Parts: sequence; C-alpha cells; structure tokens
Amino acid sequence: MSTTYTFSKEDLAEIEKIKAKYPDKKSPVMPVLWLAQDKFGHVNDDVQKLVAETLDLPPAHVFGVATFYTQYYKKEMGKFVIDVCTSFSCQACGAYDILHYIEDQLGIKAGETTADGKFSIQSVECLGACGYAPMLQITNGVYCNHLTKEKVDVILDKLKKDEMPAFERIPFPQHTTAKS
Amino acid sequence: MAEIFIDNVRYEFEGKPLVLQFMLDNGLDHPFFCYHPSLSIPANCRQCYVEAGTPVFNRETNSYELDESGERVIRFFPKLMTACSLEASDGMVIKTHRTSELVKRAHKDTLEFILVNHPLDCPICDQAGECPLQIQTYKYGPEGSRFEHKKVHKPKRIKLGPRVILDAERCINCTRCVRFTDEISKSHQLTIISRGDKNYPATAPGMEFDDAYSLNTVDICPVGALTSADFRFKARVWEMNQTPGVDVTNGKGCNIDVWTRDNLVLRITPRYNAKVNDHWMPDFGREDYRRMNENRISRPEVNLDGDKIKSSWNNAELTFTEAIEDVNPSEILVIGSAFSSLEDNYAISAYFNRLGVNDVYFTPHIEAGSGDGFLISDDHYPNTNGCRALGFNEVSAAELKSKITDKSVKAIISLEDDLIGRGVINAGDLKGKFFAYFGSNNNETSKAADLVVPITCSVETISSYINVDGILQRTVPAKETIYTDRKLNLEMSLGRLDRYGTKFDNWVSDSNKVDCIPTWEFLERISRNQNSSLGFNESGDVFEAISSNIESLLGIDYNKIDELQGVQLEISSNKTEV
Repeated sequence: MSTTYTFSKEDLAEIEKIKAKYPDKKSPVMPVLWLAQDKFGHVNDDVQKLVAETLDLPPAHVFGVATFYTQYYKKEMGKFVIDVCTSFSCQACGAYDILHYIEDQLGIKAGETTADGKFSIQSVECLGACGYAPMLQITNGVYCNHLTKEKVDVILDKLKKDEMPAFERIPFPQHTTAKS
Repeated sequence: MAEIFIDNVRYEFEGKPLVLQFMLDNGLDHPFFCYHPSLSIPANCRQCYVEAGTPVFNRETNSYELDESGERVIRFFPKLMTACSLEASDGMVIKTHRTSELVKRAHKDTLEFILVNHPLDCPICDQAGECPLQIQTYKYGPEGSRFEHKKVHKPKRIKLGPRVILDAERCINCTRCVRFTDEISKSHQLTIISRGDKNYPATAPGMEFDDAYSLNTVDICPVGALTSADFRFKARVWEMNQTPGVDVTNGKGCNIDVWTRDNLVLRITPRYNAKVNDHWMPDFGREDYRRMNENRISRPEVNLDGDKIKSSWNNAELTFTEAIEDVNPSEILVIGSAFSSLEDNYAISAYFNRLGVNDVYFTPHIEAGSGDGFLISDDHYPNTNGCRALGFNEVSAAELKSKITDKSVKAIISLEDDLIGRGVINAGDLKGKFFAYFGSNNNETSKAADLVVPITCSVETISSYINVDGILQRTVPAKETIYTDRKLNLEMSLGRLDRYGTKFDNWVSDSNKVDCIPTWEFLERISRNQNSSLGFNESGDVFEAISSNIESLLGIDYNKIDELQGVQLEISSNKTEV
C-alpha cells in the first residue's frame, strides 16, 4: 500500500478556514480529520500523518485524537459501516444478539470488512440513543432504533441495494404524553 | 499571615500553594498518582481527594460568620476536591483521610477503581518496592477486590523506543509520561490512544520514542507500565543500595542516585536538585554505570618491553618515583583532567608543585553545538570549571599536543583523560618519553602508558566537581574497592542485604571489587616513602587543602556542600573556545 495522500488546493483553503475559527493550534484537529475522512474515506496512519503535517502538530497528538473516536476510521472500511452500540443500555436490551445476528448474516466479525468491500461491522460505545435501545448507526449517519432481527433483515436488504434506510423520528415520551 | 486548617491543625502559608504540595511539604502523607511538582496538573487520577471548605465571610460586618459556639461557619465544597489542583486560600479548612470517613472511603474506592484492570503481577514487576500504586494500595486501598470478571487485556512488552518498554496493562493513564514529553523534553512523542478501559500511552504509528530524555518517563511512571529496557529484571529495588552521586558524563553534573548490589552499579536515576537538574537527567548519563563496572583497571600495570604486565603497588610506587627522579622538574609535563575530581587534580598538582613543577595543563573537552541548552551541555567533562578554579593552564588540544611532543619534555604525568581516544594526541607522540597514566578505565591512552596507576572512579571515593554553571557538588562512595568496606566507612550507605547479610551468605557476593586507590592516596604513599607527607589521610584532608589554598573555595567543606545541595561559585566567563 503505497498510496500517497495529499490535500488539494481547495482542501487546504478549507483547512485555513477551519483554522481561522479557533484560537489555538490543536483545536482544528477534529474538523480536519473529518474533512480528510470525507475525502479519503478513512483516516489511516498516512492520512493522520498528513493531517499532522498540514496542521504542524505532533503526529502523536493526531493519533491520540483519531483513536479516541470510533467514528474516525483508522483503516479502509466498507461502503456501509454498521456501528452497533454495545454500551450498557443497548447491551441490556440485547445488543449482542443483534450484533451477532448481523455478523452471521454478513459472514464477518465485528471489526472486519466483507470481501466485496460493501460492509464493515463495528461494536461501538454509547451513541447517545439509550431510549431507543438496541440501536445501530450506519456510516456515521442514519440511526436505526428499536432493533429486532426482522428489522435488521430489512435494513441489510436495503443496504445491499445501496439504499440508505430512512431516518426514523422517534419523539420523546414526554412529548407524546403532552399531546394526548 | 494566611492560615489553613488541615485536619484541625493550623498551618501558615504565603502565596498560593496547592493544597497537595503544601501537605507534602509539611510532612503530611497523602495519596496521589498523576500529580508531579514539575509538570502541569490534569487532576485525572482522582486519588488525592480531600474535603475542603472556606469560612463564610460577611461583607457587611467585615468579619467571619460564627456559629453558636463561636466557631467560624465553614461552607464546604459540595463534592470532594482534588488537593493537587486546589489552591489554598486564607482560612480554608481541609479534611483528609485522617479526620474524614468520606475521604477515607473515597481514597479506597478510587483505588479499587484504578485496580479493576491492573494485573496482579507485582512479584515479577520491576516497579515493585518503589511503586506508588503498590504503596498506596497497602496504605489506603481496599482489602480485596470485588471484581471477579476477566481483566481487560492490552498489549504487553511494546518497545516504545530503544530504551523504554511499555506494559499497557499496568498503565493507569496518569499521563505523566505524555506531559513529560510535552512539557519538559518537548519531543511530543507520546500520547494516550483509544479510550475507556482500552487506553494506554503510545507513540504515533511508525515513530520511535527515542527522546534523549526518554528514561525519565520510567522514573515518573507511578506503576510498572514503563520500564527501562536496560534495567528490566536485573534487580529488585530492596536488594540495592541507593547512594547519592553526581553524573560525570556531562558538564551539567546532574544529581544522581547510584544503585548498587554486590558492588556492581546496576542503575543510575536522577536525584532532585532544583539548582541543577530538577527531577531529570539525560539518558546517556544512565549508561555510565557500565564505565563504573566494566573495563576497569585493577592493580597497577607497567610496560615491560612493550608488554603490559600487572604489577604490585610497591613496584608501581618505585617505578613512578624513579622515573620522576630521573628527570629535571623542567622536563616533567603534568596534565590535569577536566574529567577527574577536584581532589584528584589538586593532589597531583600539590605533589608536583613540591617538586618544583608549577604549571599543570589541561585541555577541555567542549564541542560547541553538541549540547541542547537543557541538561546536555557542550562540555563533555564534569569538572572543566574545577580545573579552572585550581588555576590550571587551559590550553587547546593543539597546544597540548605541541607541549607533549616538545623535545624538552621527558616525563608526562596524565590524570584520567583519554587524550588518544579523543584525538588530542596519538600514541606515537609519546614515544621515548616516560608516560604515567592515572586512570580508572582501560582506554587508548592507558594502553600507551609506561605506568598505569588504577584510581578510584567517581562512585568509589568522595569526588567533587564544579559544573558548567559553577556549582560545586560532590559524590559519596557507593561502590567498595578492595581497600574499603561499607560497614566501616560511615559515608557509605548500607542496603538491606549489607545490613542483614554476612559474607558467607550465598546471596551476597564479595567480588566485583576493583584494586584501585584514590590519586591522593597513591601520591601520599610515595611522599611518605620519601619521608615527606602531603598530609592527606582522607579525601576531606585534600578538600580542606583545596579550600584553604584556593580563594574562590575558601571556607567550603563537604558539610556545606551537602547542606546547600551544591555551592554556587563565581565563575569567570573567559572560557576559551576549543
């Protein structure tokens, strides 16, 4: 793998804009990592190095930030990354059953990518949707809530046809009771 | 003066001390892990919890509010405070584990939490015996563990760099090492990666932790996560003797602790001295233990028809005396050494002054630009200012070479300084002249000598040095020679094995002693053979002679050096560039 990663002129202009928003040097790391991930699809070691060089920061610092968040992909991932929350609330509601079911359906383990490069599965920490547990998130985007095996089948079928599942609006219980 | 009440005892303070540091300064024991006096304060280990409160001040009456019994009303912070980051304020009330059950409980619970994933491998851990986590768990920790699940496993035996090895499972993520590389060595090579119970310190991918100060992270690591690749598994801490010393690999003269067992120096660690090195020292200074143990000159050596043979001290003394008597004082060249102590240098100059040789020459080992402005100086030798203070003639390498090769010089006496090894002269320059070398280690120069007198090195006798900043410091003998005994020499420290072991125990070794004596002792013996004592019976006598003869050192003795942790001297700025 000897791909060299570079930022284009437009990217660099964007990075300058990001830098201007913050008083210190370390702060733009996260938005610039996002920018890099949008561009390259991941932030592997080389991309992290590129970000560190661009922002004139120690590579160790960028590495620390990138590894802290599961949302930054430290290696090349499938087209759809299925982040299954396995933190406390989801776990109590059967998140591991869901995770293992998805693993069986796709024939890979958490942390792996399918051979066709379409799916990756990650077991992640709390995504802040404890009220709708168990849940998963697709490629840092759509949340799929109140998961059941049937619901997972539907989601996977859609994804196999390159369709994103629709965003589900789930009102807070207090809002629903206020209406009635 | 501002006052603070800690466990119902009143203390006075000035300025804005931090409560934890203030307690430690006042001899109050308090647990902590992440706090380090020379680093920033992240307060992330949460071990130093205290209850803290401030008196209620009534602005209208301009006085403290009092309760029914006339005591000040104290408003406590709603939660426990970390003492490390809490600034003392006037009238503040602190309750520690000594007076507060809540704090006691907090210390215990924090420790239980820290220990959840900590491996129970103290019996094979290098840090055991000097481990804050171990010590504080004994003092403040829970009796047992309530966690019966499998511990989280993390990488072990990661070579972070050439000198530091990481055991991630032992790490408690105090970030001391990360802060050290960010704030002290400024190499920014370390970071904490990942999060939750999976995090541990690491370098960026593909990068090595090759910081010139990397081993300091091993010292400040409060657990056994970072260990020295060199010292790993060599000795248990409680088996070793810890003796204060001075680093001689460098002009800075970092204060060190010399750790010995069975008369071998096993490791060197920095010792705190605010004036010189704070808590730190460069990595290469720690390698110096090899010089103290290995390749030592033991017993005098004389050159017999081109062969080096070991000789008796008597023979060495005779050879030396005869060679000196054979030539005129004007034909003797005496070379002092910026590597050797004040005592050694002074003894040699005192001896030859009496013979009528008034000039002692030395050439410093300074490489401009080789230092880093922190603890690595351009000067490679520890005592350049010492030689200057003794009034030696400072000459360049070329000048010294021309002096040595001068036809009128017939006898050369050189104190430990590898003149050939560092390229000042070559072996051919000494042809046809009597060359006596006083040294503790074999090197190119000792090979070329007609007479080699083995002398003690910095850890075998009291040696004083004046560092690049003009601070006079001294070492204490840490390692026995075959003529010294740590049980008889009160200056030497006794370790557990020395105190409770005997020579006949099979876990104590009496070997590893070098047959060498201090320079002054050799010269004193020769003088006595000629019925004219120099008056040196111990290092202290030599130092006394120095301090009474050298104006800039007037009135200084070993006690004063110890008391002041190094005496700051005025140094002249006319340093010659070499």
